Amino acid sequence: MLQTSSYSLVLALQFLLLTYDLFVNAFSELLRMAPVIQLVLFIIQDIAVLFNTIIVFLMFFSTFVFQAGLVSLLFRKFKGTIILTAVYLALSIALHVWVMNLRWKNSQSFVWTNGLQALFVLQRLAAVLYCYFYKRTALRLGDPRFHRDSLWLRKEFLQGSR
Amino acid sequence: MGEAVCAAAHPSKSLCARSQPEDSLPQAPLRARTTPPASQQADGAECPPRALPPIPSGVKDDILLSHPKKKRSRSKNLRASASSEGLAEPVLHRPSEGNEPPTAALKEDSEAPVQRRQKKPRPPLERETSFTQKKTSSPSLLQNENGINVDPAEEAVTQKPRRKARKTKQAQLQYANELGVEDEDIITDEQRVPEQQCRFTAPTGISQPVGKVFVEKSRRFQAADRSELIKTTENIDVTVDMKPSWTTRDVALSVHRAFRMIGLFSHGFLAGCAVWNVVVIYALAGEQPLNVSNLLQQYKTLAYPFQSLLYLLLALSTVSAFDRIDFAKTSVAIRNIFALDPTALASFLYFTALILSLSQQMTSDRIHLYTPANSSLWAAGIEEQILQPWIVVNLVVALLVGLSWLFLSYRPGMDLSEELMFFCDVEEYPDKGIKASS
Repeated sequence: MLQTSSYSLVLALQFLLLTYDLFVNAFSELLRMAPVIQLVLFIIQDIAVLFNTIIVFLMFFSTFVFQAGLVSLLFRKFKGTIILTAVYLALSIALHVWVMNLRWKNSQSFVWTNGLQALFVLQRLAAVLYCYFYKRTALRLGDPRFHRDSLWLRKEFLQGSR
Repeated sequence: MGEAVCAAAHPSKSLCARSQPEDSLPQAPLRARTTPPASQQADGAECPPRALPPIPSGVKDDILLSHPKKKRSRSKNLRASASSEGLAEPVLHRPSEGNEPPTAALKEDSEAPVQRRQKKPRPPLERETSFTQKKTSSPSLLQNENGINVDPAEEAVTQKPRRKARKTKQAQLQYANELGVEDEDIITDEQRVPEQQCRFTAPTGISQPVGKVFVEKSRRFQAADRSELIKTTENIDVTVDMKPSWTTRDVALSVHRAFRMIGLFSHGFLAGCAVWNVVVIYALAGEQPLNVSNLLQQYKTLAYPFQSLLYLLLALSTVSAFDRIDFAKTSVAIRNIFALDPTALASFLYFTALILSLSQQMTSDRIHLYTPANSSLWAAGIEEQILQPWIVVNLVVALLVGLSWLFLSYRPGMDLSEELMFFCDVEEYPDKGIKASS
């Protein structure tokens, strides 16, 4: 059974990483006095997304549903989060590489092209969706039903096996 | 090897018990409990063999014929009480097998099937203990019931405290059982510690229950009184019961509600910011034709910070609005949008505003990098062409977030996420369901 204190701690860490991600997405364009600042911010942001992914997977592994072998049920429930996190991480890395490549020589130069603009919009939209789905998943995993055998779980299993 | 030693240790006890004067014979079993285990072979070296008191043969027959039923029931009761309390009977008396009177042996033979039937699978040591204990009880019973050394008053005295003890035991909850000792088994008299230790016996550990309980505190075992320990455990149980249960579900719910509060704040703040931004833009741009140079010069320091703030607030508001309609359940969300549910419409408008706002990132950067001398970015004649759509988009964004705020304020308490995520299966959480409804 998941302990309340440990869950609170994990949740706090997840929200901290999410907040950092949101902060960098919002203000990274503003904090470009030197290219290295943006580089560090981007690297930490990508690592934060990766950490959040690892944490959410560890939370999956600690559930009773996973330990009972019902991985498909977990995937069915949280496939949106898993897919979106992967897409968001890919978009973030792509945008960061592209932007840093263009701005490495001169951080105050105008580098926008239509392709970069499209990638930027997609990445920022994915960030909002990622934030929503990840937050929802983190909160849902606190549900005790995922951490013990219950009538609900059996019902879900039967629905899934049909 | 150990069994052989144990078997050899019995006779001396029975001998000691029976070598007491006749008037003290009824107490013999009690003394036999406290005497130390010693082997007869070893005794042979130090203690001379003592003769058993003769038992008349007629008595043997009587015993065999008349008393097996009673004895069986007595032994049965003893065992039942022991098993019901879950206590391991301490190894107290070990009667001999070799020196036992033939009556006992015969009796055992006659009782063997019954005992075998009554025996439950137990660890070997325990089995041996119960077996030997049965055997010790038999001679004492025999003697008592045959009237050889019987003192009925004394027998009643010996049985009464036991009943009393049982009554008190039942009254004392099950804590005494958990501590694993019966009160009557506890030896308080220090003088009963065995004095005669035979030198040539293998050291058999004497384990006697005592009135103290040893509790491990900071890596050391400290003696504590049983009654006090029972009191403390009772108190702990009470405090544990009184402790409110703060589950992970409650943590998640409180975080969700906290985020909803942040979202509520961001909705209003965003609407205000967007309106203020449009007002500033129109104030700086002026009437048609637009005063482009003034707008660019004044607004270039504000453009990027405002764009960043707008994204932050839009992201928070969108997530909050999605939470309210439980966007993850796509079918419900789409149905609500088509049903023109104000909250669903608000979240749609927020998402549209977010896309529009993000699409102006390039223009915002262009404004941010504006310098009158930089002709490559701001070629003469194209400023108005670039700025006109940007102003319109900003106006539309302001309208969208303003409308969304109005829609959300129409039903500020609506939160489908909370209902669907946390209270969807109320039948599994009857207490939570009551709380939710209240």
